[in-house]
Amino acid sequence: MSAKVETLSAEELLKTKKRSQSADVWKRLKRSKTAVLGIVLIAMFLGMALFAPVIADYEGEALKLNVKERLEGPSANHIFGTDEFGRDIFARVVYGTRISLFVGIISVSIALSIGGFLGAIAGYYGGKIDNAIMRVLDVILAVPTILLAITIVASLGASMMNLMIAVGISNIPGFARIVRASVLSVKDQEFIEAAKAIGAKDHIIIMKHVLPNSMAPIIVYATLKVATAIMATASLSFIGLGVQPPTPEWGSMLAGGRAYIRDQMYIVMYPGLAIVLTVLSLNLIGDGLRDALDPKLK
Amino acid sequence: MSKYILRRLMLMIPVLIGVTFLVYFIISLTPGDPAAMILGNGATEEAVVQLREDMGLNDPVIVQYGNYMKDLFTGDMGTSYSTGKAVSGEIGQRFPNTFKLTVSAIILSVLISIPIGVVSATRQYSLFDNVGMIVALVGISMPSFWVGLILIIAFSLNLGWFPSGGMDGIMSLILPAFTLAIASTASITRTTRSSMLEVIRQDYIDTAKAKGVSANVVIRKHALKNALIPAITVIGLEFGVLLGGAVLTETVFSWPGIGRLMVESIQRKDTPMVLGCIIVFAVAFSLVNLLIDILYSFIDPRIKANYK
Amino acid sequence: MSERVLDINDLIVQYHTDEGIVEAVNGITINLDRGRTLGLVGETGAGKTTTARSIMRLIQSPPGKMTQGSIHLNGKDIMAASEKELEKIRGAQVSMIFQDPMTALNPVITVGDQIAEAILIHQKVSQDQANVKAKEMLEMVGIPGARLNEYPHQFSGGMKQRVIIAIALSCSPQLLIADEPTTALDVTIQAQVLELMKELKDKFNMAMIMITHDLGVVAEVCDDVAIMYAGRVVEQGNLDDIFRRTKHPYTEGLFNSIPNIDDRKAELIPIKGLMSDPYNLPEGCSFCDRCNYAMSICKTKRPEKVHFSETHFVECHLYSENPEFQLKG
Repeated sequence: MSAKVETLSAEELLKTKKRSQSADVWKRLKRSKTAVLGIVLIAMFLGMALFAPVIADYEGEALKLNVKERLEGPSANHIFGTDEFGRDIFARVVYGTRISLFVGIISVSIALSIGGFLGAIAGYYGGKIDNAIMRVLDVILAVPTILLAITIVASLGASMMNLMIAVGISNIPGFARIVRASVLSVKDQEFIEAAKAIGAKDHIIIMKHVLPNSMAPIIVYATLKVATAIMATASLSFIGLGVQPPTPEWGSMLAGGRAYIRDQMYIVMYPGLAIVLTVLSLNLIGDGLRDALDPKLK
Repeated sequence: MSKYILRRLMLMIPVLIGVTFLVYFIISLTPGDPAAMILGNGATEEAVVQLREDMGLNDPVIVQYGNYMKDLFTGDMGTSYSTGKAVSGEIGQRFPNTFKLTVSAIILSVLISIPIGVVSATRQYSLFDNVGMIVALVGISMPSFWVGLILIIAFSLNLGWFPSGGMDGIMSLILPAFTLAIASTASITRTTRSSMLEVIRQDYIDTAKAKGVSANVVIRKHALKNALIPAITVIGLEFGVLLGGAVLTETVFSWPGIGRLMVESIQRKDTPMVLGCIIVFAVAFSLVNLLIDILYSFIDPRIKANYK
Repeated sequence: MSERVLDINDLIVQYHTDEGIVEAVNGITINLDRGRTLGLVGETGAGKTTTARSIMRLIQSPPGKMTQGSIHLNGKDIMAASEKELEKIRGAQVSMIFQDPMTALNPVITVGDQIAEAILIHQKVSQDQANVKAKEMLEMVGIPGARLNEYPHQFSGGMKQRVIIAIALSCSPQLLIADEPTTALDVTIQAQVLELMKELKDKFNMAMIMITHDLGVVAEVCDDVAIMYAGRVVEQGNLDDIFRRTKHPYTEGLFNSIPNIDDRKAELIPIKGLMSDPYNLPEGCSFCDRCNYAMSICKTKRPEKVHFSETHFVECHLYSENPEFQLKG
């Protein structure tokens, strides 16, 4: 009885290797209870964001001023209570999820694409280009991140768009650095030399060979940065430099409720908890990913 | 040694100049007419035009920047649009308050986080470690302004132990300092723990044990110094975060520092003041990083060697 | 007159991990007298380092467990000793040199301090006196005493290893354990370091355990040799016994794996297969699957010790029936 031996082409071998690698990582990620908790939490928030219209009525509950019902404590009607304008806090928290996640993801995307591009170029070509790019980024890094974001929004005017631009720009150096480091560690490996030897063009090499192999730390970093971006969004909105009222945003809800903390602390309690839980879940996932991707741990 | 310090100072200067350029340029994008704002609604057309000319607002941005820098070197940061007084004076008055707050916060952080980080590492997987790490993770997930509000609700409004705002003696420093310290404590604890864990696995720790060095001395003398090296970098970075966080905490606690000054100036469209605040923040941050680098070279003899 | 320095009796050490129990050391009996050098030879994973670390009880305690057996150092029961007593013994009665000199020294403490530390722990002297002694030790290993205040990164690999030797010998231990001390060094440096070790061993009349996988080193330095495989000593004897009257198929395999400088055309004869899975050691002889002389009894029954002389024994079924059996060579 002879077994049929199949020879896989190099392409297929590579694909199966990648597939089993990601399956492996997923398995290890599942092992961490905290990471799983993070995934559950963020799934919950994603659900809230996606299905917001099903959960609560935007016009009627989140936005409509309802002076008669203002400052009511949590009840069956309003499970988180109402704010100083009589709006349902629960509905506002739910819709606020959309804004936080949206701004968080978009600003990180901006930072990742621009910063990643700069970092890849700097790392791959080295020398003067590397120097020049890093010097410029050093200047941006000399200003604490939040302050830079504040300055940009203050100058361009407070709006959600400018918020995303500001948070995005202030995160560019961080992404540039991490992509550069990844590229540096990969580019001297032999398969890159091999690709060069057969005449592959630079940008192909970077996109097809260098970047895929340096993904791991970048993914972890990006996850953690979405968390800080959400935090930054709330912070900026808190001082009035972000999303403008009446749009429900967790940070500005805290600003609005500040005057009432003595007797109606639920106004600041629930939006605040939403921020904490969202950021926490992303941190848990980021941590879990970092451990799962680390070859040294088993 | 002093050569090293000098070199780093020299490198700092172009970066700071770059910062002033960057920030000036960004702020120049602010829409609106400062002259009209200063003179108010009742001003005549001519008065506004004249003021614009006097303030140099019709010059190209580069020229304005040049003039600003010239003045900056003599310590003149211009005049506030809202008070008409010297920006440097106002900042000079408020900066020590922010300094007091951030330094208290970072000292508090370091005192708490390093011992906890070390103990967590030496008792890895214990209850202390697991709980500690979860608490730390929650700590870096809490926005400082929310923490501030919660602390005010609990300790000021309900228990009445501390004032809810203002700067008035040491009691008023405690809540804001704690608020600021929470996130950085969490972060430094995590870093200390992970670098301790790395160090404990090193061969030279085995060598020390094989010499008969007792467990405590191994941790204190052999492991800690090596573990602190990456921890110190994080402390420097955290200071930067603290400076940013000061803006929020000062707002929540009505603390008269330059963070709150900056926010107020933004609301009042007082551009020179905003510019001044940012530059001071950047300089402070750079100096702290310089200090950290110097500290670094004292702890790690391999760095000193590079600069002999 | 020789003294018994080390007595290991039927030692069993296991590592309890998530993936199962690793049987690292499976019943080792070793003894060593003052002034003698024992070579502990075997491939990676044979249990040599674990055995060595057990002598100082430096096994990481989860997951490692010394489940059975006894260890006596200068008559003192190591298994029963308290941590405090062990701290007194380590560095003073027994010292260990680890494998990689590049990472064995603390980068932020001066070389002099690292040597002096050992002295200060075990001897009642002042800091100054310890520094003087440290300087002497440096000179003894061939490093100028003036380099006392330098840091490890300022030394080359070979010199680092000398510093490590200085640390190990600073309190004149009765037993020195060297775990592959020259494996990470260039061949020429290797020779120098071995020379130094021999010199110092004679000077201090120490007992020494030399862990190595290199039979050349064994020939240079050792008096007695114990061949380890899968946590057991499969053959033991003095230098003559092992080199000229090789009995165990594994030992034979080790000798055959060395390229012959006189016959460059001869084929290398590797030992087929890989070391057995330490999570799952076979019932019978651990070497069975790789052995050219395997018999059916080898699969099921563990071989017993067969003595050829006072110094020489082997654990192999080939000799249980027929002590006169000759390996093919």
